[in-house]
Amino acid sequence: MQPTETSVAPALHCDAIGSDHGTAPKPKTPRKARRRKAGPAADVTVHGDTCAGPAATQEPATSESIYQRIGHLTRTLHDALRELGYDRELMGTRQQLPDARDRLAYIARVTGEAAEKVLNAVDRARDVQQALTRQAADLHRRWKAVEAFTAGGCGRATPAGQALVEETCRFFADVEAQSDRANTILTDIMLAQDFHDLTGQVIRKVVALAQTMEEQLVKLLVDTAPEAAAAAPAAAPALEGPVVNPAGRDDVARDQADVDALLASLGF
Amino acid sequence: MGAQPRFLIVDDFSTMRRIVRNLLKEIGFADAEEAEDGAVALNMLRSGKFDFVVSDINMPNMNGFDLLKNIRADEKLKSIPVLMVTAEAKKDDIVAAAQGGASGYIVKPFTKATLEEKVQKILQKSQ
Repeated sequence: MQPTETSVAPALHCDAIGSDHGTAPKPKTPRKARRRKAGPAADVTVHGDTCAGPAATQEPATSESIYQRIGHLTRTLHDALRELGYDRELMGTRQQLPDARDRLAYIARVTGEAAEKVLNAVDRARDVQQALTRQAADLHRRWKAVEAFTAGGCGRATPAGQALVEETCRFFADVEAQSDRANTILTDIMLAQDFHDLTGQVIRKVVALAQTMEEQLVKLLVDTAPEAAAAAPAAAPALEGPVVNPAGRDDVARDQADVDALLASLGF
Repeated sequence: MGAQPRFLIVDDFSTMRRIVRNLLKEIGFADAEEAEDGAVALNMLRSGKFDFVVSDINMPNMNGFDLLKNIRADEKLKSIPVLMVTAEAKKDDIVAAAQGGASGYIVKPFTKATLEEKVQKILQKSQ
């Protein structure tokens, strides 16, 4: 069996990718570097000509010389990072990455739970809808018999009574159509929950990227400033927002019961 | 295939499995089971009777491409239609799915009408 059908809608995915509509990003100068330009760090010496390639030295690029150059560049980077204070910034960044990952995981979990709640509600609403439709169909069938009887004339119903019977029959007939419309709306609500899958996949990729960055930063820090990595100053406490990962923490309330217990212990 | 085909829905997101299952039910195919990745799906396919697979591509353990490959390489399973339902919209992926023997390919997000159309078309072809 050969597949022939596709339902590809690339345009739908352009926004997710974050297209910049063809405008090339302007090269940015690191803020710290700009700030430090006139300060003491401006005196940092960059060793070696990092722009010069093998042609400039007129020497054949052997593996050994390439490794030596890479080693030299690494040493230069190491010195520059320390002198500019970037090692501390890198350390800060590294420390924030696990938190960023936790927050993303939290978003994925909470949005997933929200989607499940909506799906549960849709299922319940559909059950109610179906029960109503069944009851209406049953009553419609019985009222049709009444309608046939009252239409027989011979004073079987007053004009007002007959009008009421006819109106009731029309209402029951309309219930089925209304029910179909409501079901279509419920289907739309259900389908809209696919955002969880789509956003979840993006979040998963970003979490993986953060993990890779963290690992690389750890390696870089260990290579360039092991003592800084060991004795990094703690980040200033800030408002944390929702607790994304309460596991193993005793400084957060896990739920409202924890909050109430804490308040009670304080006499509130 | 009997009167009512039995579906296996493969996706690592329970939300999406539930959506596809509900949609299939609305379309008229109430007999469906779920698997959270390709490896689980393959085990279920080998131990049970399924007539139709609706599978995501990007999944842990075994992705949709590998599941497709395994199904097509298995004498007992190779005739089962496999409809890919995925967020992977790259042409290379679509081509790879087609070359791997996918019976259809739907890109998320999708509508009930799209799913119904592809499923019906695939079922007609496989009869």
